[in-house]
Order: sequence, then C-alpha cells, then structure tokens
Amino acid sequence: MDRRTFLKVSLAASTSATALGTASQQAFAQAGKPVTVAFFVKNVTNPFWKGCRIGAEKAAKELGVNLEVVAPTKPDNIEEQTRLVEDWIVKKPDAFVFVPVDYKALVPSIQKANKAGIPVVNYNNRMTDVDVVSYIGSDDEKIEYEVATYLFKSMGGKGKIVHIDGVPAASTAQARKKGLERALKEYPGIELLTSQPGQYRRLPAVQVFENLMQRYPEIDAVVSANDDMAVGIAEALAAAGRGGKTKVTGVDGIPDATAAIAAGKMFATADFSGHDQAYLAVHAAVRYLRKQPVPKEIELPIVIIDKQNVATFAKTPEERTVPSWDKTAAAQKG
Amino acid sequence: MAETALHPQLIQRSATLDLVKKAPGAFYLLALMGVVLTTWTPGFFTAANLTNVALQVAVLTIVALGMTLVILTEGIDLSLGPMLGLCGVAASLMVIAGYPLIAAVAAAIGIGAALGLLNGSLIAVAGMPPFIVTLGTFGIAQSIATVLTGGDSVVRLPGYYRWFNDGIFLAIPVPIWATAAVFAVTWILLYQTKFGRYVFAIGGNRQALKLAGTRVSRYHIAVYVYAGVLTAIASFIMTARMNAAHPTIGVGLEFDAIAAVILGGTSFEKGHGGIAGTIVGALAVGVLRNGLNLLGVGTEWQVAIVGVVIITAVGLDSIRGLNL
Amino acid sequence: MSVQTHLLPAGIARRVDHGVFVVLSRLLAIIVLVVVLAILSPQFLSWGNFTNVMRQASLQFLMAAGLTIVVLTGGIDLAIGAILGLAACLSASLLSQGHLAWGIASALAAGLAAGSVNGLLVTFGRIPPFIATYGMLWIAHGLGYVFMKGEVIYGLPEAFRFIGAGFLWGIPVPVIVALVLLAVLHVMLQGTVLGRAIYAIGGNPSAARLSGMPVRARLIVVYALSGLLSGFAALVVIARINAADSSLGEDLLLPAIATVCLGGTSLFGGVGGIAGTAIGAVILALVVNGMNLLGVQTFWQSGVMGAIILISVLADQVGGSRLIGKRS
Repeated sequence: MDRRTFLKVSLAASTSATALGTASQQAFAQAGKPVTVAFFVKNVTNPFWKGCRIGAEKAAKELGVNLEVVAPTKPDNIEEQTRLVEDWIVKKPDAFVFVPVDYKALVPSIQKANKAGIPVVNYNNRMTDVDVVSYIGSDDEKIEYEVATYLFKSMGGKGKIVHIDGVPAASTAQARKKGLERALKEYPGIELLTSQPGQYRRLPAVQVFENLMQRYPEIDAVVSANDDMAVGIAEALAAAGRGGKTKVTGVDGIPDATAAIAAGKMFATADFSGHDQAYLAVHAAVRYLRKQPVPKEIELPIVIIDKQNVATFAKTPEERTVPSWDKTAAAQKG
Repeated sequence: MAETALHPQLIQRSATLDLVKKAPGAFYLLALMGVVLTTWTPGFFTAANLTNVALQVAVLTIVALGMTLVILTEGIDLSLGPMLGLCGVAASLMVIAGYPLIAAVAAAIGIGAALGLLNGSLIAVAGMPPFIVTLGTFGIAQSIATVLTGGDSVVRLPGYYRWFNDGIFLAIPVPIWATAAVFAVTWILLYQTKFGRYVFAIGGNRQALKLAGTRVSRYHIAVYVYAGVLTAIASFIMTARMNAAHPTIGVGLEFDAIAAVILGGTSFEKGHGGIAGTIVGALAVGVLRNGLNLLGVGTEWQVAIVGVVIITAVGLDSIRGLNL
Repeated sequence: MSVQTHLLPAGIARRVDHGVFVVLSRLLAIIVLVVVLAILSPQFLSWGNFTNVMRQASLQFLMAAGLTIVVLTGGIDLAIGAILGLAACLSASLLSQGHLAWGIASALAAGLAAGSVNGLLVTFGRIPPFIATYGMLWIAHGLGYVFMKGEVIYGLPEAFRFIGAGFLWGIPVPVIVALVLLAVLHVMLQGTVLGRAIYAIGGNPSAARLSGMPVRARLIVVYALSGLLSGFAALVVIARINAADSSLGEDLLLPAIATVCLGGTSLFGGVGGIAGTAIGAVILALVVNGMNLLGVQTFWQSGVMGAIILISVLADQVGGSRLIGKRS
C-alpha cells in the first residue's frame, strides 16, 4: 500500500488500540485489587535505603500488601521526587510511606497528596505543615548528642575533634550537627577544630579528611555524621599510621562499621535503623487503613554500639529481627 | 511510471507527508509513547495527569528554548542549571529579607543576564570554546548559590510567591501561560527580526559573516544573555513549585535541556533546527519520565532506559538524514 | 582568524608554539601555587602532604587520561565517571569473593565494552559524541544500580588494595601507576600511527578522511581506550577506599574535564597532549589541597575550579595566539 494509506491505517489502528486499552483498564479497576503501598526512599545508591527497603518488604509480606519502591533516578534529586509524588498521586495507591529528599521543598507535593485523600506515613526525616498519619523516626539530634557525649566522656572531657558533616541541606545532618553542638557546650574542654561536609559518601569524605589530616597533625577524635564516611576515615587514619591515636565515631550501625568497631578501628556508632523505621512505618500505614490504632509518633530508642555490644548488631538487614509493633507502640507516649 | 519523466517540482507532494518526514525523532517518540501509555496505564490520558506533565515540563521547556538559540549558534550552555538555582536562591532571599517582589524578580533576571553576558563575552569576543566557558560559569554559579544558603534551602516564602506555579488565569495555569509567552517572544525574535537571522548565520555561516565585516559579537553575546534571562524566569516557577529555593535544584537541568533541543531536531552543527522542535523534545522527555513512573518501572531500569531512548531517538534521526 | 593560519601546514607550527606556551604557563602556575601555599600554610611543605597531593593528582590523572585522548580527536566522553562506577561495582563484587584475576579483568572488560559501544555509536551510528556518551552515562549508571541493588561492597583482598593504598620505595603506588601510564600514553600519542591519526582526526577531520585513513576504526579504538582507562581507574579507586557502591563516579566527570582543560588540550581537537593533562592534574590537586589546608569551605571548590578553567583557557587563547603572532 502507498504511504498515505499506511498512515491512515496506522492512525485507525492506534485509535482503536487506545479505546480498547482504556476500556480494559477500567474494567480491571472495578475488580478487587490488593492493597498497594507506595514506599519512597531517597535514592538507590546508599545502602541505608536498602536496609529500609528490606524492612518494608518484611512488613509488607507479613501483612499481605503490595509494596512499590519509589526513588529518584538522580540520587536525592528534589525536582525528581516532586515529580514522582505527583505521578504517584495519579496512580492512587492506598497509602504513601514517605521520606522527603528535602523536608521543606517536598511540602507542596505532599500537600497535594493530602488533598487527593492519600494517607501519608512519614519516616526518617520529619516534615512539618503536612498531614501525616504518623511520624516514625529516630531523634537525630539526640543520637548525635548521646554519641558525642559518650565520646567526650571517654576522652576525659579534653581534646581536639574534627566534625565531618553529611549533606548540609538534609534534616538529619542539620539535626545531628545540633546534637554535637549541644554536647560541645557541655564539654568546654573539647575543641572543635573544623567542620567540613563529606556529603554522607565515602570517597568525598576520605578526600576531605586526607587534606585535613595534613592541616591538623593532632586530632584526638573525628565525629562523622554517618558510618559510611566514618569507616573511610578510619581506614585513612590507619593508612597514615594514625589509627591508634584518633577515635572515630559514626551513626547508622552499618555492617562495615560494626566490623570496624569489632576490629578496633572505630570507636563507636549509634544504631539508626532504617530497617526498623521502614518496617514500623509500613505497619503504621496498613494498620491505619485497617482502622486500627496508630500512635501519632514513634520514636525509636537510641542505642550506642561500641566494642562491648557490637556482636549483637553485626547483622545484615536481611538477618535482622523485626521490632515488635505492639511493644514499640506501647512504649510511645501516645 | 509517468512520474519519472516529470520535473520533480511538478509532482504533487503531500504537505503532510513532508511534515512527517521532516519531523524530528522526538515527534515519533512522543506519538509512540502516547499510544503505549494510553493503552497500558489507566492514569496517563487524564486531564489531571496531562496537566501535571505540562507543568512538570514548563521549567524545562523555557530553559530549553533559550538553549535552542545557543545551540543554533553552534554553541552550548552548561551553566543554565546552576544559574537556575542561583536566580531562585537570590530572588527568594530578597523576598524574605523584605524587598518587594518586583525587586527580587529584577535582581534574578539581572543575575541571569549578567552571567549570560559573561558567557557570551568570553565566547564571542575572546573566542573560547562554549563548552569550557559555560563549564567554568557552571562551577562559579554553583558555588555562589551554595555559599549564599550554606548548602541549605530557602524556605518560608510569602504565600503570594506560589502564584508563579499555582496561579490560574482563565482556567490555564500560570506556568503554561509563561511557557506560551516565552515561546511567542522567542519565535518572533528568531523568525521575524534581524537578531534571529544573525542567530542562524552565526551557526551556519560564521566565516562568511566575519569576512563580510559584520559585527556579530553583539548578537552572539545577546544569545547567551537571552538564555540567562529565560533561565531566571524559569527559576520563579521552580521555586514556587517547591515553595523553597535550593542551590542544587537545577542540577542536571542543562543536560535535559540539551537533550530536549537535540531530540527536537536542532543539531549541534550547521545551525539547523528551530524552537517548535524543542517543545516536542521537552514534551518527549517529560512524557518519557512520567510514563516510566506510571508504568511502575523500577528506578534502576528507568535510568538505563532513558539513556537508550535518547540514543535511539537521535540515532534514528541521523540514519534518516542519510536517506533524505 | 587571520588568513595566514590557513597557509600553515596542518597546524604543526601552531601546535609547537602552543605547546611551548602551555608548558611554560603551567610550570609558572605550579611554582606560584607552591610558593603561595608554602607561605600561607605551615603544613604544606611536609612529606606527608606531598604524598597526599601526588596521590590525589594521580587519581585525577587516571580519570582524565582517557578523556584527553578522546578530546584530542575533537570529541568528548561524558560517560567516563559512570563507566568507572559500573566497572568498580562489577570488579568489587568479584574481588570481595576472592577472585583476584577475574575481578581485575571484569573492570577492564566492562570499560572496554562500554567504550567500544560509544565508539560504534559515534562512528556508525553518526550520533554526536555529546549525545552518545551522555546516553551511555545513563545506561552505565542504570546498569550499576540494577547490579548493586542499593548495596555497598566492603572488604577487598589485601593484595589488591596494595594498588590503591600501598607504598613502593616510599612512594604511593597510584603515583607510580600514573607515571607508568603517562609514559605509555605519551609514547603512543607521539610515536605510533594511532597517535598521529588521533591528532590528524582532531586537527583536520576532512583531510584525515580524504587521506584514506580508516577514521571510523581509529575513533572506535579511541573511545574503547577511554572506556578501558576508566575501568582501570576504577580499580585504583576501589583499592584506595576499600568499598564500592553505585554512586561512585558521579562527581568525577567535571574535575576530569577541568584537568584536561588545565592541561592545555583544546576542546576543538588536535592540540594538546597527555603530559599537559598530568600537569593539569597536579595543579588541580594543589588547588584543592590548598583550599583544605587553608580551611576554605568546600562550597567554594566548584567555583574555584570553574574560575581556574576560565582563566587557564583564556590565557591559552590570548597568550598562545600572541606567541604565534596571530590575533583571533
């Protein structure tokens, strides 16, 4: 057939395909479909979010719901996460379990989700000015305060420290920095030499720290905003022959860090379990949908990991036992 | 066949067929995706979703329109992404500090124009390669934006700022009006003014212009200034969308804009192309992303798919170019 | 450009004078930097700091080496960071399970494969290098994410880590590796048929084609080489930080481009060389080291890098052309 006819035929074909397709989708929508929870993470590169995903999947399996993991293709990208929220509102899942890449910039999009009637459970990074069923997280400020205090006590309240920050715009980084500052106020004998961001990632943190090591020949301790950076820093210290003289602390409790603590390369870290947070968050969402009581806020207890108790924490997210919903909910103050 | 005996120009040629043949890869991509998505996802072909896509693409389109002019002059502007962040940050900081909105808007446009002026001067007068110059201003703009906010976002903007994104005029959202207005102005500039003719000439025939003694520099510089101004305008919409300004919000935008322009049929060499294609290209990028989300494609695969699609669309164009 | 330059044979005279200007200006820059930093920072002139700077410069150089060759042909490779990341993940997973030889081979193979695809897209696909390698950037990143599934791989064998963290005769191993690579590539570019072809393709693509040279085959080799070198750089990087995750390589592209520009290699093609890139890497490492030693906030780093790029290329443009007596 000639080109003109071909074009007409294909136009006709695609129009009928469209019509058929739309009709079939609508029919499918009427039939019963399983509960779907859209589970948001900040990126697919940081292992912390993999831990979250595993915890969420365990909860979804237990409760018999469908879990869809949603992450931006460009890690931590604000504009992309905004688009993801908007696109997912169109898909109308039964609930959002959500962590914002930027807790302020994502407010308008979550407000749109509120307007669309989708219940939102917020975890890990607290958001304000939006309606959430519940917030599940750990208090970052308290965590860093506890870790820093533990460190300062072990230093006898005297010494020079360096702070390696996370992503400056992240609420976790800002809160942890505040916790460190609070601890510093209470220990005037501790001197903060400098605070530089390591972007929560190992290679940038190692590069920054290697140069800082040159600038400050004497560092008694390094407070790192997360474990990924802390382990890199500990290795850099060891490579430079300064391992024994400098204590390194982190936050998160990732396997590499627990191994480093057991080996004596790192001093301490805190258990910041995305796995637990995500597990409880999915539970909260599904229980809300099933009209069961859900606390407005769930704050996970702070546990400091050091050489004494490291063995209990040296588990991968897959091996880790899930927290008990009932016990955790009961422990909350309402 | 009788046709071979006739002069080609006397053969009746279907105007639509010509349009279809000349249409850039993005057009087919868009059409294909439209069909696939409408068939496979219930949510795609709805007013709500399509409005979403149009709004999502507004910022990209406006920046890409400026980028089209740059690429038409055989140039490239990598600094538009951080420029967006910087303009957004500057405008919101001023608004929070109590300056009137008009001052903040003017300041942002001024910054965009100034950076464009820097780019244009180094490229047109000093003869430096556009890739390098705009890479340099990329870094500079990024730094200034980040230092202004300490890496954090700017929040607690007054409510009226959200009009740039949420406002509706005659049932059409403001960003779509803005895109249409920018398109109209750019169209007039490009096709109806001396400036536009110079833009094409700088891209296609720069040596001839120089030998003829024409002072092209000012038009060449103006192209980059224009791109900067458009980016500033886009920054208002972006800031309003997030209700916050962030220094890194434009990261990657310049590459998306370049992809939209190339997909839309404007080529890096010889100054071929135009802005109508850019709109199709930007829509194609937007629909692709939206479609992948609606189809529930895993993030990891989305990243790879975007790469394959861009390469294929441009590749098909080049291959078709051989036959024409 | 004045009419005279069109009469010069194949840009050789331009290249020689340009080369002289580049080397002189860069050496001057290094001397100035060293003097300024030595005055401003007491820790700068220590052996520890020196090895630091050299190690960082070596890694910069390894990243930028392949890119230099591509840029010499008038092209660009935006995928080097993503290819490095993908190669790093593949090899780390094999290495952490103890397969030393397979681990190393996989990084090189992945880089070679990705680079070859780039080459094919650019030549037979007739896709502009910017778009082809930009698309490959996304594909390589995506494959990396799919492969890693958000995991991080820790704990590579000690023997392997020597490449990144070890010392040989008191010199960090990456420095030695970089010097060897510099020598090999320099010989290749200046003394082999491929090398001359690279300069010819970049300097005058139409003449190269008309001369009967297999331009397409050469270009495929060039891009494949760039990919291979990215894979090689991946090995050194993971040996150094003893870990690999899918975000590796994300922010390595821009410094690599800056390094190439600092080295005096022109993005128009046909002008420059690998020695320049090595010098550029040293300068960049000195600047970053200086900023850290002086306590400059890291926020300023990209701005400083941007300014450096502008100044160095502008200087080349203005100064280099003055040396030959032409005005642009």
